[in-house]
Parts: sequence; C-alpha cells; structure tokens
Amino acid sequence: MKRLYTVAVAAMGAVLCASAVLDARAADSPKIVTLGASMQLTGADTNLARYFRDGYQVTVDRINEQGGIRIGDDTYRLALKILDNQSNINLGIQQYTQLITRDKVDFLLGPYGSNHTLNESSIAEKYRVPMVEGGGAAKQIFDRGYRYIFGTAPPAENYFGSTVEMMTKLDPSVHTLALLTADDAFDVAVRAGTQALAQRLGIELVVDQVYPEATPNFTSLLALVKSKSPDAILVGGHEAESLNFLREAKSLDVNARYLTSLTVGVPSHDFRIALGKDAEGVFGMTPWVISPVMRDRWFGDGQQFAQLFQHRFNYEPDYHVASAVADVETFAYALEAAGTLDREKVRDAIAKSDFESAYAPIRYQASGQIDIPQIVIQVENGKVMPIYTDHFLNKPNYPVSAWTKRNK
Amino acid sequence: MLLAQILLNGVLLGGLYGLMALGMALVWGVLNIVNLAHGAFVMLGGYCVYFIFTGLGIDPFAALPFAFLAIFVLGYLLQRYVLNLIVRSAQLNTLLITFGLDVVLTYLAQLAFTADFRTINPSYAGANVTLFGLTLPLLRFAAFVAALLFAALLWVILQRTRLGRAIRATAQNLTAARLYGVDPAQLYALTFGLGVGLAGAAGGLYGMVAQVTPYIGATLTAKSFVITIIGGLENPFGIVLGGIVIGIIEALASIYIGATFTDAISFGLLLIILIVRPMRGLRTA
Repeated sequence: MKRLYTVAVAAMGAVLCASAVLDARAADSPKIVTLGASMQLTGADTNLARYFRDGYQVTVDRINEQGGIRIGDDTYRLALKILDNQSNINLGIQQYTQLITRDKVDFLLGPYGSNHTLNESSIAEKYRVPMVEGGGAAKQIFDRGYRYIFGTAPPAENYFGSTVEMMTKLDPSVHTLALLTADDAFDVAVRAGTQALAQRLGIELVVDQVYPEATPNFTSLLALVKSKSPDAILVGGHEAESLNFLREAKSLDVNARYLTSLTVGVPSHDFRIALGKDAEGVFGMTPWVISPVMRDRWFGDGQQFAQLFQHRFNYEPDYHVASAVADVETFAYALEAAGTLDREKVRDAIAKSDFESAYAPIRYQASGQIDIPQIVIQVENGKVMPIYTDHFLNKPNYPVSAWTKRNK
Repeated sequence: MLLAQILLNGVLLGGLYGLMALGMALVWGVLNIVNLAHGAFVMLGGYCVYFIFTGLGIDPFAALPFAFLAIFVLGYLLQRYVLNLIVRSAQLNTLLITFGLDVVLTYLAQLAFTADFRTINPSYAGANVTLFGLTLPLLRFAAFVAALLFAALLWVILQRTRLGRAIRATAQNLTAARLYGVDPAQLYALTFGLGVGLAGAAGGLYGMVAQVTPYIGATLTAKSFVITIIGGLENPFGIVLGGIVIGIIEALASIYIGATFTDAISFGLLLIILIVRPMRGLRTA
C-alpha cells in the first residue's frame, strides 16, 4: 500500500513538473499573427504573381529571424497563409472569404494585378479586415471609398506621367504619340491618365487603340502605327504583351521616330533575358531601383535587400517584389503602433503609416494608395539605367535607332 | 497600302493557326475525339524547340522534326495506354479525359519549366524584306510555308500511303477496316501521335513569333477548334484555309471594328457556321 502511495505521489509530481515546463514554454514561445493572401500560384498570371509571393515570404522570414514584432507586452511572429487562386478572380473571391471566415487569418495581403485586387478587396472591405497590397495600381480600386484597402503601387493613371513629361524636355521633343493599351482595369486606368496628360502637354495622340489582354496580336495595330509614323509609342500591358509587342514590331520593322516605352516588363530580369538584344534602348518605368539610399529596419537598405533576395530566390528583385516587402512591413509597423490585434485600431495605424522601407517612404493618402514618382528607365547593355524622375538622372540613348540600324 | 499590309499579316498569321489546327482536325476526324489538350501539346512542342535551340544550339527550324517526334511518341503512348480505354465511350468521357490531360500537362510544365516567358529568338527572328511597299516578316512567312508543307505532307500520307488509307478506312467504317486487318488500337495511337506531333511542330513555330509559357494552351485549343469547324475535316488544305480566313478576319476586325472584339468575331463566326452548315464533312477524313 505504501509503495502504491509512493508511486502515485511520484506520478503526480511528474505530471505537475511536465505541465509547469509546458506552461513555461508556452509563455516563452511568441504568439503568431497570420497574414493571408490568395495568389496566382498557377495559371496565366503566375509569372508576375510569384514576385509578390516571394516578396511576402522573404519579409516575413526576415522579421521573424530578427525576433518578430512587439505588440503591447508580447512578442509575435508573423506567419503567411497563401492559397492558390489559379489566376481565377472568382476563386480568389471565395478564397479571401475562406481566409477570413474559416482559416481565421488576422490580416490580408493582396493578390497580383488590378483586376484581381479590384474584385477581391471587396471581401476585405465587407468583413472589415485590413488588406495591404502592391499588385493593384488602378485608381478605381481606391476611388470607391473603401476604408480597409491600402496600396503600395503608385497610381496606374500616372505610370506614363514622368515619361510624357520627359518627352517634352528631350531634344528633339515628342509631338505625336501612339498609345496602345490592354483592356484590363490597370491598362484602362493607364490609358485615361495618359490621354489627359498628353492633352495637357499638347502632344497629339495619332493612334489610341485598345487591344484584348487575353489574346494580344499586334500585327494589325502595328501596321496602323507604322502608317502614322508617331514620334513615340507607349504600350500599356503586362509582361507577355510587352514581349509580343516588341517582337512583332521588330519583325514588321515598326519604329517610333524617337522612343518606345512599356508600362510593365522592362524592370524584370527575365523580360530582358527573353528579348536579348531586342530589349536594348526600350524605355520603361519603375517606382523602385536597387539602391542603398532607401533605409530599411529589417533589411538594412535597398541594396542589401536585393542581394539577400537574389541569393535566396536566384533572380533579381524588381519593384513588384519591393512593394511586397512594404506591404508586410506596413503591418509590422502598424501592429506595433496599435499595440493590439484589434482590426479597427490596426487599420487606423496603417492609415497613419510613416516609415522608410527598402521600397520607398510609405505614407498612405486618404484614398489608401501611396503616391510615389515613377522613374523612367531604359535598357542599356542588358541593364536597367535610371533616366528621369522630375529631372534627368542619366543621359538617355535618344533618339533610339530603328530596328534595321540597330544590330549592324 | 495599310489594308494590303493588314491582309498580308492576316494571311501569315492564319497559316500558323492552320498548322496548329491540322492535328486537332485529324484526331477529331478519325478518333472522334475533340482533344481539349491540343493546346498543351502545342505548348510542349514549343518547349522542345526552345530547349533544343538554347541548350544544343540547333537552329529552331532544324529542331522542328525533333519536336514532332518527341510529341508524336508522347501522343502515341497516351493514346495507346490511356485514351484507348475510353475511345469508344460517350464523347463526354473523351472531353473529360482530354480536359484532365490538359490540366496535368500544364501543371507538369509549370513544375518542370517554371512560368518564365520563353522566346525562341534566333538571330533572324526579326528579319523582314520590303516588297511593293509591304513589309514581309521572314519568320512568319517561313512559318506560313512550313504550315503549307505540313498540310501537303499530311495530305500525301492520307491519300498515298497504306497508313493513310487505313486511317481513312477506319474513319469511314471501323468494322470494315477491322475485317481488312486494321488494328484499331494501333491505328488510333498512330493517328493521335501524328495529330499531336503536328501540334508540337506548330508549337515550335509559335515560340518563334510569340512566347511559350505553360499557360498558352487553352487559347490555342479554342482557336484550333474554331478553325477545325470552319475548315472541316475533309482536307488538310481546308484547315489551313480555315486558319487563313480566321487570320484575315481577326486582322481586319482589329483595325476596323476594334481589337478587343477579335475573339467575339471569331467565335461569332463559329456560331454562324454551326447554324448554317452543322458538322458538314466532319465524319470523313
């Protein structure tokens, strides 16, 4: 009997010790803030959506490696929950609902692209869950009076802003313009902004055509452009369209008199690889270039971030990746400032964001979108050369030679 | 001059469309399978030529036969060991299985090759000549000529070879063909291999004028479907002609109606044809 009593006391003691150890561990282990996103991991938009997925992941990991974030008196680690929407907007809408109602994520990060963001951000607004995104640039996303959507991509309407302004300062200056834009939300916004800008600066639009994003075939439009001999050609589209446009322009020997510029593609490494020498001289734009100027609490600066990112993912980051960094960092700063996970308080803290990141200084306007200038860039010897912001940074290769004179 | 250039562009684009649709028409005509994975085979052919060109430095046109062979073998094996299991069942089953095949091939391609844009960009990719004030892009012209050559080759195979006679006989009367010693399983596998092999070769040409990603297939399947309906299944040259018709219509619509309406017009044409001459000639190859 005495032996049985001894064993029972020992067993109880062991259980108490074990539970005490587990409690202590639980107290030590940081709590988790989960950021959820529905991304195009497969499907037609995969190539560019991966920039956001990789940008989110590298930032979450970096913040956690450096001890996480302090919210009130507790240390929290960040976690990501990313679902694959197969480049399907309807599925994306379902998945954001699922992330909020079933998976119980704390906050939302955005998908890639204005079309997706325009539709899927409505779920965030409906459930009053703050969403920070860098994939949707169309002003339409932010013109609806939504309170919970914040965007780190500069407004699509102004993508060609610095380019058109530069055109008036170049010698010879640009007087006639061909504008070709896709029919998605982003490019519709690009078109509207560029039309207004050209009118204001007295540049004549000799061609102004919209093409289908899903099945772009530029041959007829190029014949039309050639017949008008514009001083400049501006193309609004995504990477696939930009590639098609340049290849078809070369094969049909269509040249702008002075320059050609594309909204998307030029800053991306794989775009320049795919085109090889044919990318030389083409203009583009980016709100971000790799530079040590921008300081970042977790990455040091923009250049250190780029090195770390390239080492991990084996490709050079572009502005999409950098804006994804700012998306995650927005939550990190806002959570610390709010001192709570309360969504309303975090939303208010996001609205008051004011910090430096590897991407840009982050300060949201009342609409929820940041407004940073686009840097005009040009491909020179396979590299991206910054040319113009509101002043010239480098001397451009201008006027750009015609295709027939370029490779001789 | 603008109209002439647009027409020329449309004809050249249509030739490539026609080549893409040739294989779909062959498989549809003989096996009664509407191959929803057709575009995926075009995509795989594009990758074949891309890797042969960039990896081995072989000219992309010289790489086309290799792409044809590689995709032929893949198609043969798939038909022999997968599709033959349901080839005589309800057409819905063949639609479902080829749709599934399309999904599998697409996702495998993304795993194997990533979603990066790949372009087959030989030094002469942008070469052109000017004739009578019109710009003739040489690569597109070569693709057009290749489409005609492949159509001619298919016609010769179907009309002048023992295999071709067996294919036509099977399409016309399976029972009679069997009585004359045709092994349908073997013949179906050869036909499917031939059809998707042509798609693979078209993929190589497509990669030279556009770019290859795992996700180009669905659009190209839809385009091939429309052309097959327009061109009928009777004659490979009819398919190429159907491609040219679509190419010209798209090119003209692009300028005179609006580029965003080109797909609506292509599929609208499909609807009209189905109403006016439903399935004429689809049962004879």
